[in-house]
Amino acid sequence: MLKMTHISKVFRTDVVETHALRDFSLHVAEGEFVTVTGPSGCGKTTFLNIAGLLETASGGQYLLDGEDVSSLNDFQRARMRNQKIGFIFQSFNLMPDLNLFDNVDVPLRYRGVNAAERKVRVERALDAVGLLSRKKHLPAQLSGGQQQRVAIARALVGEPRFLLADEPTGNLDSNTAEGVMELLHEINNNGTTIIMVTHDVVLASRSARNIQILDGRIIDDRRAQPKAA
Amino acid sequence: MEFGPILRSLLRNKLGVLLIALQIAFTMTVTVNAVYIIDQRSERMARPSGLDEANIFHLSSVGYGNNFNESVVSTEDLALIKALPGVLDATVMNAIPVSGSGSSTGVGLEPDRPETSVQTAMYTADENVLNTLGLNLVAGRPFTSNDVRRGARDMDRTQSTAILTTALAERIFPGEGMQAIGRTIYNPGGGAIEIVGLVERLQTPWAESSFIEQSMIIPEVVNDGSTLYMVRTAPGERDRLMMEVEELLAAQGHERILRNNRSFEETRENSYRLDSVMATILYVVIGTLMFITAMGIVGLAVFSINRRRKQIGTRRALGATRPAILRYFLLENLLISGSGVVLGALLTLAFNMFLVQTFDMPRIDWFYAPVGMLVLIILGQLAALAPAAKASGIAPAMATRSV
Repeated sequence: MLKMTHISKVFRTDVVETHALRDFSLHVAEGEFVTVTGPSGCGKTTFLNIAGLLETASGGQYLLDGEDVSSLNDFQRARMRNQKIGFIFQSFNLMPDLNLFDNVDVPLRYRGVNAAERKVRVERALDAVGLLSRKKHLPAQLSGGQQQRVAIARALVGEPRFLLADEPTGNLDSNTAEGVMELLHEINNNGTTIIMVTHDVVLASRSARNIQILDGRIIDDRRAQPKAA
Repeated sequence: MEFGPILRSLLRNKLGVLLIALQIAFTMTVTVNAVYIIDQRSERMARPSGLDEANIFHLSSVGYGNNFNESVVSTEDLALIKALPGVLDATVMNAIPVSGSGSSTGVGLEPDRPETSVQTAMYTADENVLNTLGLNLVAGRPFTSNDVRRGARDMDRTQSTAILTTALAERIFPGEGMQAIGRTIYNPGGGAIEIVGLVERLQTPWAESSFIEQSMIIPEVVNDGSTLYMVRTAPGERDRLMMEVEELLAAQGHERILRNNRSFEETRENSYRLDSVMATILYVVIGTLMFITAMGIVGLAVFSINRRRKQIGTRRALGATRPAILRYFLLENLLISGSGVVLGALLTLAFNMFLVQTFDMPRIDWFYAPVGMLVLIILGQLAALAPAAKASGIAPAMATRSV
């Protein structure tokens, strides 16, 4: 599904050069649920940005769904993000002036889906996160947990094969976070590959695979032991 | 297209949108009415006088000595002027078209009934007037030397001939103007005037006049102390001959002053100077308003984009291409400008009605409002283009940044 080989990312200014990722190699198979942990500034977000085609790598090779993305132009990368990747952000990143329906509708509009089909898919996605009845509400009228559910509905509405979550529970209390995690595991059980960046070691420990990053390198790649039958 | 979500989003942020829409509406109202006024003034300034304007100049001679005989001198002067190479013809007149100064009278179909008369400018000149001014005779004949009376002015009860403009003839004989040759009209004193010719056009001396196309030429040379020479030259000879004629007449040594040696074009330009200045002022007002409105649109767009950088990054992350972001902001501007110009169209018509009722201006032509709307929409799109292009350059990684 995702294969990074010797990926590097360097940020340069006039006076300083920062190596955010160094010799970063990772293979994530289809259907996996991978958590990524590490201290602040270790390169987690940079990894997420490159994996989600939000930024380009400085070096190395990145194959997404078998396609080498290094050679894609900006337009092609946008198309691939729209069609193959779903994003969940720590601060939800909902459009405050749009109601829930219009928020969830955004990726489908960029895909050029017709209005009738969009309506069906948006309502199905909102129903899946339990918020269909509030589709005309604005994000500000919802709790944090509900807003994150809307963001999840928006990420899922395009039926992506690959979901990237950046601290999805970072702004939620523990009970709400638990609900969001259950939802993500349910999505993963339905076959969607998930990579989730988190600070929460407890949540990370519950995933089938956890990667630890330090100074732009993978220092640990641990898979949970399958439970005995 | 994201018409629906953008509209709903704008409706939730009414104040900024309303202010810029009002600014656009105000700009459109002032601009369209100002352009209409400019167009009207330009039309006035562009009206043909009927003269061969580029090749005519005039010069006045005012005698002051006891030995000065105006009649003799003017005859001599005309002979001298006509003898100069490059001079096509010359005449003596009482007034210059659109110069601001001249004579008017009333003419009617019945004697001693001035209340039924039609107002007209009255020019007096000798038999060379048509050729000198370059007037287009469309019916009848030009004056002959036998038509011309010379001396002091006292014509009210005297039989005379006249050449009229077609506009005046049509006004006196509605529907039969072109058949006016040979018919008789009467001046306010009851003097009979036989119409011998019609010219296509000869404007009155007053540019502001409501009867500017109604003129009459009487074949008469009046000696009243001041002689106005009109001279027509071959193309390209005017400026040279203006100097030569003045030098030639001055060299005759008569006790007189030569003054107002001007081309007809200069005289006409002076008459329309107020129109020209007003048009310039209105252009400046329009330009300033357009600039301020464009800056307002840019300001609102930049503010709106800076406020939504993370949203734009999120849209990019969710699959928006750069052209999609560009389209989004241009469409948003189109909706704001669109509401502004619709309001502006209503205000334009209301303001025009006010001008019509207060200043007796003509009603605005129907196409000014839609053209104004189109111009303001284009202005809005051009003003929003640079900020929208900047917005489309926001990186998708902005979505994951803590800003």
